[in-house]
Amino acid sequence: MAFASAPVSPHDVHMRTLKTSEAAALLNVSPNTLRAWERRFGYPKPQRSAGQHRQYTHGEVAALRDALGQGLSISSAVSRAREALSTDTHTLVGALAGFELDRADSAMESALALRSVERAVEEVLLPSLEELGERVGTDSAPWAFAARWADGWLRRAQRLAPPPVRRHAILVGDATPNELDPDALAVRALELFCGRSGVRVMALPVAGVSGLADVVAALSPDAVVIAGSHLPADDVALWAYRVRATAGPLPMTLFRGSRQSAPVRTTGTRTLSRTPFAAHRQVLALIDDRQRPPVRDVAPPAGPEAGRERREAQA
Amino acid sequence: MRRLHSLRPVEVDERGLALVSFCGHCGIRPHQATAPRASRVCGHCGLGLVLQAGADLAPRHDDPFLIIDTSLSVCAVSAAAEALFGIDETDAVNKHIADFLVPADANAPSAENLLTLLVDVAGGGGEICTAVVRPRQEFGVRFWARIGPCGSPRAALLVLS
Repeated sequence: MAFASAPVSPHDVHMRTLKTSEAAALLNVSPNTLRAWERRFGYPKPQRSAGQHRQYTHGEVAALRDALGQGLSISSAVSRAREALSTDTHTLVGALAGFELDRADSAMESALALRSVERAVEEVLLPSLEELGERVGTDSAPWAFAARWADGWLRRAQRLAPPPVRRHAILVGDATPNELDPDALAVRALELFCGRSGVRVMALPVAGVSGLADVVAALSPDAVVIAGSHLPADDVALWAYRVRATAGPLPMTLFRGSRQSAPVRTTGTRTLSRTPFAAHRQVLALIDDRQRPPVRDVAPPAGPEAGRERREAQA
Repeated sequence: MRRLHSLRPVEVDERGLALVSFCGHCGIRPHQATAPRASRVCGHCGLGLVLQAGADLAPRHDDPFLIIDTSLSVCAVSAAAEALFGIDETDAVNKHIADFLVPADANAPSAENLLTLLVDVAGGGGEICTAVVRPRQEFGVRFWARIGPCGSPRAALLVLS
């Protein structure tokens, strides 16, 4: 099943997850021991379900089980299991450095067998591109080849994401110059993660403000993310102003804008984490906070002034 | 009536010497009757694998010890050794043994003796022997060390006393 060549949804790539009791049974240890390993070794690293229960990746647990059979300590087994899982990154870097598209697709396919799409992107795709960028330089032809492949992979994954199930929408102001910018891949990843969370996402270039009001009115975004650091702060501020003029006071966030020397002149902006997954969680939390009704102060106001106000309100 | 489950077979190595099991982290010897045989993980602390060594070499309770493989990399550090050297096992694993211990025997002709001995033992040869060692970068502190084979897989066990 080739993810890149065949129209297969990333959801169809079956990534098996285990509950704590199942993972513990597979490793023949108690759930408490598994949680102790997570605290001490940081491995296996579970994801959290909607109900905040631990969900272990089968690949991680299986790699640890194999390593435990040959190891002399839990530490060395964890080290060996991590090494086994990191081979995907080495394979992807090698494939992209050797201009082998099929092998690069296969590396991501292998990564998806052991991880969720989010983790495959964050633990394999983005680190591989970062390593390649450091190795060959982001102004080189090999980087252009790799960046275009990664951009295409992320866009395909985004197209294959399930349709939006939430009523919320996010507007992404893309301040990256093109897909060869190192930040552009992180922006694509952020769009992908938000889309996979069931939120409508629309990315628009920050450089263009003509007709922006119509788009914003149609989308009716709940949050705005200004991503990238290529454009001058004045252009970004103008774009943000136009968005706010149409949509009202929206939560405005900055993603990967840290290289900018001048701060963006918009009020109430928040800077998101540099990792796309953490950033997408922060944006979703912002939207949820905004939807939540304000908490009313139930404590009775103190003092004669407050008592008079209360009596007037009751009358 | 005699309870037959109290009679347990004694495991021996290829030379016929009795082997005992111990946890590679806390050093506690698992109780044969209660320890689950299918799991190699210590049922007491959950942070070490159960290993075997000769009865005269295996660490007693609270003996600090390290386990080293044929490449002289540290594979396990006991909880007592962590406290003694002020290191974490997670940081020490895969590092060279010389980063933690060096020979301190004035009569030894060279520092290579300890390393050669460890390679021999971890590789499957060598008898249980003793050496004098000291922590790296520390002077005036010396330990007697019992060194011998343990497993599985095969490795060198260095017990400080």
